[in-house]
Amino acid sequence: MIARSADRIGTSRYRNAAARIQDQTDENIQHYRHADRRAVERRLAVLDREWDIDRVVEAEAPATILLGLGLGALAGRKWVFLSAFASVMVLLHGTQRIYPLRPALRRMGIRTQAEIALERDALLDRLDELDHQNA
Amino acid sequence: MLPATARRVQTHTCDKVNDHIQSRTEENVERYREATPTQIRRRLRQLDREWDVERALQTNFAAVSLAGLALGRLVDRKWYLLPAVASGFMLQHALQGWCPPLPVMRRIGVRTMSEIAEERRQLERLLAEAQQRRMEEAG
Repeated sequence: MIARSADRIGTSRYRNAAARIQDQTDENIQHYRHADRRAVERRLAVLDREWDIDRVVEAEAPATILLGLGLGALAGRKWVFLSAFASVMVLLHGTQRIYPLRPALRRMGIRTQAEIALERDALLDRLDELDHQNA
Repeated sequence: MLPATARRVQTHTCDKVNDHIQSRTEENVERYREATPTQIRRRLRQLDREWDVERALQTNFAAVSLAGLALGRLVDRKWYLLPAVASGFMLQHALQGWCPPLPVMRRIGVRTMSEIAEERRQLERLLAEAQQRRMEEAG
């Protein structure tokens, strides 16, 4: 079975980190519930810049593959298996949302784009509300 | 300065393609304007399954790298250049937001997670309206 794209936190293994991230997101949303326009817009800009888990994996994995290739050329061809392992893991991440570093990244509080979008939606709702108040 | 995560793909897609994807999204939403809650919920579940551009790029990258590594090991060491180049481009995509497969995928219509989230946001609004209508009809 291929995992759903939005199901970035699906398996129970990550449930605790996922729950913590969700609590943090809810807290952020609460914090901006009555904020003024400037504060909301500033927060939206921060969210746009936030590195999601895909971007982290897309930076880490090729670095590991290049490291394996480099060591393979310099220190012994067996190092190429590091690159192969990393490639298989990226394949798993793309199709199954399974990745060896994912639990650690989640514990560090790195969110998925879908989770960031939840917070963004709440902020956009707040902007709509402010528009209506002005109108 | 690195570009913002949520916009780095759009920044590196030409305006025409971005506009095309956006109008497709708007058409999708428009089609559900009069839909029943069940239909909207079905569409939302479809969106949950839609592959975003990051997912497509990661899978493509892994497949290309693995092929290059296998060919390098079995056929000729020159093939190791393929995963090296692919890794370079994947890294460039992570940092800057562009890589060679991206224009192709965008032209096929593969959306970013934030573009999908925008459709979901509007559908959820329509869902609330549809439920409201149903309540009123039921009296």
